[in-house]
Amino acid sequence: MAGEPRIYFDNAATTPVDPRVRAAMAPYLDGCFGNPSSLHVEGRTARAAVEQARRQVATLVGGPPGRGIFTGSGTEADNLALVGVARAFAGQPVHIVTSAIEHPAVRETCAWLAQREGVSVTYAPVKSDGIVDPDEVAALIGAETRLVSIMAANNVVGTLQPVRETARVAHARGVLFHTDAVQAASCLSLDMQRDGIDLLSLSGHKLYGPKGIGALVCGDNVPLTPVIHGGGQERGLRSGTENVAAIVGFGEAARLCSATRGEEAARLVQLRERLIEGIRARVPNAYVIGDLYRRLPGHVCLGFAGQEGESIKLMLALDEAGVAVSTGSACSAHKASEPSYVLTALGFDALRARGALRITLGRFNTEGEVDRFLDLLPRAVGTLRPITTRAGAVAGVCS
Amino acid sequence: MTTADVALPGLDCGLCGFKLCADLAARLPAQPELLERCIHLAPKPTPSTLPQPLPKREGGETTTLPRPLPERERGAAATTVAAPRRAAGQALPVMPRAEVEPTWQDSLGREFDFYLEHFPEEPGPRETILPHNPLLTREMEIKVGDVLIGRPLGMSCGCPITHCGVATEVDPRTGVIVWCVTGPLRPRQEGFKDLGYYSAEAYDGLIRKQRPEVEVKIGMRYFFQPRMCMLQWRHSGLVNFMNRTKEGLQVRLEGLWIG
Repeated sequence: MAGEPRIYFDNAATTPVDPRVRAAMAPYLDGCFGNPSSLHVEGRTARAAVEQARRQVATLVGGPPGRGIFTGSGTEADNLALVGVARAFAGQPVHIVTSAIEHPAVRETCAWLAQREGVSVTYAPVKSDGIVDPDEVAALIGAETRLVSIMAANNVVGTLQPVRETARVAHARGVLFHTDAVQAASCLSLDMQRDGIDLLSLSGHKLYGPKGIGALVCGDNVPLTPVIHGGGQERGLRSGTENVAAIVGFGEAARLCSATRGEEAARLVQLRERLIEGIRARVPNAYVIGDLYRRLPGHVCLGFAGQEGESIKLMLALDEAGVAVSTGSACSAHKASEPSYVLTALGFDALRARGALRITLGRFNTEGEVDRFLDLLPRAVGTLRPITTRAGAVAGVCS
Repeated sequence: MTTADVALPGLDCGLCGFKLCADLAARLPAQPELLERCIHLAPKPTPSTLPQPLPKREGGETTTLPRPLPERERGAAATTVAAPRRAAGQALPVMPRAEVEPTWQDSLGREFDFYLEHFPEEPGPRETILPHNPLLTREMEIKVGDVLIGRPLGMSCGCPITHCGVATEVDPRTGVIVWCVTGPLRPRQEGFKDLGYYSAEAYDGLIRKQRPEVEVKIGMRYFFQPRMCMLQWRHSGLVNFMNRTKEGLQVRLEGLWIG
């Protein structure tokens, strides 16, 4: 495939910056360099841009206008939500309910809170289809529970969580509800006020904006203690001079997602189905991991029965053929020795928990790219060494 | 419930693959199975047991949500959970890693005697391997520093996982390669040579932690857990070299088996 442009099917890891976002950012990298805290024209211009972006981000998720806190990443937003709420209840017992499949930004922060700040954390189990049952969450809520944190969509498997139902069970017990919507926000219709979400984390680079910018959108009257202290920016909840250009880009990215979300989701679902049908026709031992419909529109998580141990080789073969896919969360790609904790939580054994191939489609992917990928995939899979000489025969067992 | 009874949510979310709920509704009479694509209508976990929605918030207030205690009520209790006060400029104490006694069981619940760790100066576990066709070492012109991939097969530690590593010693006469197993990032970044199948002939590493009642002796066969084993399955092997070092007991294991 020499000379053909590369195919980027790893949009869950990061998305390319939309040219319209880049254009919106450009003035703030050059002429409009003011500090939003300054009172002169340059400062006020920057302040106006930041506040417009704040409204755009709030609109994307149906949050109260003006309640978004810009952070340096989605991870920082998760940290602020978890640590900020836990510390707001300082002096009282704090219990957090989260799930076994959260992104490390939540999982590791909860572990840190448990180890360093005496917070007790309970991890709700996940069903084999990748869904966290709200009733399971409800059963784990106790008198000391202050926060339930369940992601809106899983980054590895792509499954959508019943956020509204989970928020209801949390609120029914007087508990705050946080969701990490980093993966979901670009294409999922989220409405904090409709769905009862108190805190919601976002990341710019997962919705065709720049890296290095995130936000925690808070409902009204949510108790939150700052984690970063200093000049009191972001209503005192996240000090540090605002990254104006990135914030403007994030705002524009949010606006574009808000404007096209339903249409884009439908397009991605159609692409995804073309991909899944094509894979099934060409690679009989492939199986889809996670619920078939309750998943992110562009997200496909696949296993290859009998060849799960070769997922690394498949990723390398596809990379060489000009296709970027992932064998799991990019954040854990350097921890090659560990099976995916997400797939393990879904009940996969240690071998199959290593064997997932993640293909994530995005705004700039086309039908032509899906067809090219379908041409390439059987050849790449054909180079794998099956653990059994009858790999195709075991597909039915795993489907 | 028939499709005629269904009231689509009207969110036009697109998650069913149709731009508008009306588009899906128009197709339902002919293809009622499409209904399962609407995640808003698909069976939710025991909906009847779910509490009713909260009343719509007015003025942003939700009185059922917990609030932190006022400052005065936190009182002495806060000191019991707070970190010790530090003088200005004093570094945060380093968090000690909890020393948890291993269960000495692998991921399948089988007992083992010690963990085999890799040498601290190396990028991963050191293995002595032999391609199933040893001539490949010469034919592929494998040299020190090459990034290799392959799958261990056969009597000696057959494993279902493709391994990646960096060659540290190459013997073109016998075909034997010593490599350090690493993650997939390096072959992805630097390219690689594919060995196909190989046999793992020996492991070299350190024993830093062993089951208290076990004494490691040369010439004896043990169950051990390679610390970085992707499957966390126990292996067995015969110790044919031992050397006590400041980092731990250096051993070489041959006659390798998984299980």
